[in-house]
Amino acid sequence: MSAPGTSEVGVRLAGHFATVEQQRRAAVLGMWAWLLTELLLFAGLFLTVLVLRLLHPEAVQEAARHLKFWIGATNTVVLIASSLTMSGAIQLSRLGWQRGMVRCMLATAALGTLFLALKGYEYHADYEEHLMPFLGDRPYALDRLPASRLFINLYYAATGLHALHLFTGIAILLVLTRQASRPGFLAAHQNRIEIYGLYWHFIDLIWIMAFPVLYVLNR
Amino acid sequence: MTTSDLALQLWPPAASATAVETDWLILAFTVLTLLLTVPVFLAIAWFAIRYREGVRADRSSSGLRSMPIEISWMLIPFLLTLIFFAWGARLFFISKSPPADAMVVEAIGRQWMWKFQHPTGQSEINDLHIPVGQAIRVRMTSQDVIHALYFPVLRMQMAVLPDRTTEMWFKADRTGTYRMYCSEYCGTDHSRMDGRLVIMTQAEYAAWLQDAGAQQGGQAGAGRAVYEAYGCGNCHDPGARVRAPSLAGLYGRPVALADGRTITADETYLRRKILNPNRDKLAGGDRQVMPAFQGVIANDDLDRLVAYIKATGPRAQQEDRR
Amino acid sequence: MSGSATTGDAHALRDPGIPHATLDREADYLHAEHTLRSWFFTTDHKRIAILYLASITAFFVIGAVTAGLVRLALVVPDGQVFTNDTYNKLFTIHGVVMVWFFLIPSIPATFGNFLIPLMIGARDLAFPKLNLASWYVFMTGAFFTLVSVVLGGVDTGWTFYTPLSTAFSNTWVVPALIGVTVVGFSSILTGLNFVVTIHTMRAPGMTWFRLPIFVWTHYATSLIFLLATPVITLALVLLILERAFHIGVFDPAYGGDPVLFQHLFWFYSHPAVYIMVLPGMGVISEIVPAFARKKLFGYKFVAYAAIGLASVTFFVWGHHMFVNGQSDLASLAFSVLSFAVAVPSAVKVYNWTATIHKGSLRLDTPMLYAMGYIGLFVLGGLTGLYLATLAINQHVHATYFVVAHFHYIMVGGTVLAFLGGLHFWWPKFTGRMYVESWGRISAFLIFIGFNVTFFPQFILGYLGMPRRYHVYPPEFQFLNILSSAGSTILAVGYIFPMVYLVYSIWFGKRAPANPWDARGLEWTVASPPPAHNFLTEPKAPEIPYDYPIQASETQRHHS
Repeated sequence: MSAPGTSEVGVRLAGHFATVEQQRRAAVLGMWAWLLTELLLFAGLFLTVLVLRLLHPEAVQEAARHLKFWIGATNTVVLIASSLTMSGAIQLSRLGWQRGMVRCMLATAALGTLFLALKGYEYHADYEEHLMPFLGDRPYALDRLPASRLFINLYYAATGLHALHLFTGIAILLVLTRQASRPGFLAAHQNRIEIYGLYWHFIDLIWIMAFPVLYVLNR
Repeated sequence: MTTSDLALQLWPPAASATAVETDWLILAFTVLTLLLTVPVFLAIAWFAIRYREGVRADRSSSGLRSMPIEISWMLIPFLLTLIFFAWGARLFFISKSPPADAMVVEAIGRQWMWKFQHPTGQSEINDLHIPVGQAIRVRMTSQDVIHALYFPVLRMQMAVLPDRTTEMWFKADRTGTYRMYCSEYCGTDHSRMDGRLVIMTQAEYAAWLQDAGAQQGGQAGAGRAVYEAYGCGNCHDPGARVRAPSLAGLYGRPVALADGRTITADETYLRRKILNPNRDKLAGGDRQVMPAFQGVIANDDLDRLVAYIKATGPRAQQEDRR
Repeated sequence: MSGSATTGDAHALRDPGIPHATLDREADYLHAEHTLRSWFFTTDHKRIAILYLASITAFFVIGAVTAGLVRLALVVPDGQVFTNDTYNKLFTIHGVVMVWFFLIPSIPATFGNFLIPLMIGARDLAFPKLNLASWYVFMTGAFFTLVSVVLGGVDTGWTFYTPLSTAFSNTWVVPALIGVTVVGFSSILTGLNFVVTIHTMRAPGMTWFRLPIFVWTHYATSLIFLLATPVITLALVLLILERAFHIGVFDPAYGGDPVLFQHLFWFYSHPAVYIMVLPGMGVISEIVPAFARKKLFGYKFVAYAAIGLASVTFFVWGHHMFVNGQSDLASLAFSVLSFAVAVPSAVKVYNWTATIHKGSLRLDTPMLYAMGYIGLFVLGGLTGLYLATLAINQHVHATYFVVAHFHYIMVGGTVLAFLGGLHFWWPKFTGRMYVESWGRISAFLIFIGFNVTFFPQFILGYLGMPRRYHVYPPEFQFLNILSSAGSTILAVGYIFPMVYLVYSIWFGKRAPANPWDARGLEWTVASPPPAHNFLTEPKAPEIPYDYPIQASETQRHHS
């Protein structure tokens, strides 16, 4: 059997697959296919932001100067750290170190929550600074540059969509952590950790694209 | 409409060299299409008869290699059709390069009317009068949604975009009255956003410019289009949910005001009331909800609108708007 | 995947849910269980296919009735049948329902769902629960769309062009947009399932070039689902935000660009045409060899053509916007790229024709539909080239010429392929045979009715009648009456199969496993198939379409 402190690692075969290997390949490919779709969703959004920058360079630059660069930068670091802990969870799951894996997963969820908290603070600061042009009854700080409101609104659409993904990700991660802390989980469903890891890294990747497109490029 | 109301028309009239060439292009393309498709259709029909199950026929391999066949039926039709790509592109680019001496007509689209402004200042609604043999450049913009200006007789259309100017140019070579449409779906009365393209001789055009109003069946006819385009009927038509005062027969009648005065609804009153409805509030205590049209409606359109209201006689009712 | 993880294979456990010992005497999928629950919570790809079939048939009826009302309105030129608003809502509902709730899911979600696992020798799709979820997502989207119709309808046209849809329409645009957005996710899930299934679930020996063309075309379609659908999701979400919060991206008043929406919209909606067309080509590629008793001519070319079409289609969206203010150079590029679509399309048509050559033809109902399909698709495709020609487009853009063109592709193409496939696989789906003579009569009616309805519209378009016109000049009345008359024939042609197919479910002759003596793994199992598809390990054929009469290249290969 396995070494002390570790559990068996494997995947239980679901009825409609012929082999475990087939089941693993299907799961991995399925997640990649989903991420491909997601990538195109965000790509369309970023492309729209870039088109906007071509159409109205001054307004976009002026609006981008009002984004909280350092919160965005900190959040980038937070998410990269969370990817690191997620990688740790995957590696430990392969070794069968269930306790360590669960701790890494909790750390990942905590870092994700930290990101959301910082993001929420940033939104609050934006609100205080009257940078929410989509709120019809609230004055808008950059009213003299009508096109700037497009950029700011798209910034909310892009970061909001990303935050929605992250929020869903944290929710799934917590459920998965609960399942994964039960004995025997790694023997039956180790590949779920790997599949989930792909999704988490992807959320990270999207932010790594969003940060330069929104915060850096236009400064 | 002076357009001939033929029961069945199979080919549209053409009134420019570009239109005629477009017709040749599509006819030639159709010949190629027939050359490519008729053999396929005939072959399918012939095979269906010749090789039907139970019919004795030679079904042995014809010995044809598939690679050369595949390559040939991939490339030959494609290369042949590319001739038409090139021809069509050439014609398209000609229609995008207006000559320097073109006469510029400004066009404005709005829900649901067209307004054209001639270089000499005259404007007209839902009709466009142009001289034959003169290059015309139409510069278009929209005040609300996307429209498209379409002259079938010239085989030409172009989108009319809000806050942007688009252009088309043409040189008509045949006089007559033809159809003009909005071809980009623009809401409720999209299909009534049509009009006439009147192509005239230079002399007729000069005469028309002299007397632009009279040629349109009076200002009132155009005023009706303005009335609808500015949505006046939404409140002022009988049966409208907002029971605004009826405008039928209003002109020349006395009107009681809230401050106790009674004045006659003359032209000045109508104008003032449209531009700034809050002045001279009406008696009766109804809430004044009409928006001010000061700075919204152009002066010439206001003239037309007032002419229309004047023309709706005492017994005239708005015809049912569909 | 690392080495340490794969050691887990040795510890693989069988899911105790399926008792394998009973597999040799298994009830067919229709009779395995009878409760409602067993239908609405099934994960069997075959039952889910039937759920989809019932749903899209209902939507087809809604789409067809609104189309009938549109044709009724156009019998008179002065628009006296409905108000302009009602007319606009009718054609909008017709477009939205037919495109997103019938044409796009029609063949993939029904036949694809049912047949792909059978054709590749798998027990189910890779993700059965996801498959069921996709149906629920579909129905959720349908619910929102129906809500918008019940509340009073939408009048923007199915294209939702801005700023009409954002700032000017006073109708229920947002529920309709939500419906269409949600339904996109159902497409994505179906496509994802197909891609993964085709990649990973093929039976031993079922190599890529032994797959039926039906599977190839569905693979290509699924790629479009995955790559194009998210873009329309984004476009529609931005549209919803625009309408709800005036974010201004498409609003010229703030410097936004309404044409940007058209770019995003057509980046999806042009490939969506191939979502509708490719599966139909797959169906035809199965029917033609089966009824010609001959191997499909140029198998590899036909397979690659599917992938080729799916690729080229991503680079031609601008041909919808030649006269909408895009740059002339962009128009030039989009025009020539659109001509390139002709290449893979021609490959398909000529190969089908060559397959019939020297075959031994049975002109049964599916084959009649297939032959009708080839004719109508060719006409629809070539008129597409007319539209891709810049100077012609300048004239016939947004006229009835366009309406006729895309109905030749979508009705002449997709619907005929759908009906052909429905008749071809009906015995497999239900275990019953329909009455052949009725099938032939309805195939003729539909072919004739279709052409009488839509051919006059080519002429109307060239004469200059714009589309979406409720009130039209009187000189167009004759052709419009002709078109409306044709639509009544078409309607009768549609009603027939609905009656005799449903009748056959209870009273039809029982179908053998392989009533057409066709090739393909789906015909090796009973009709209807057992709940878990294959009782014994499926064995992939060495040659696809191994019919008695071989096409020339394999003939020589074997002699």
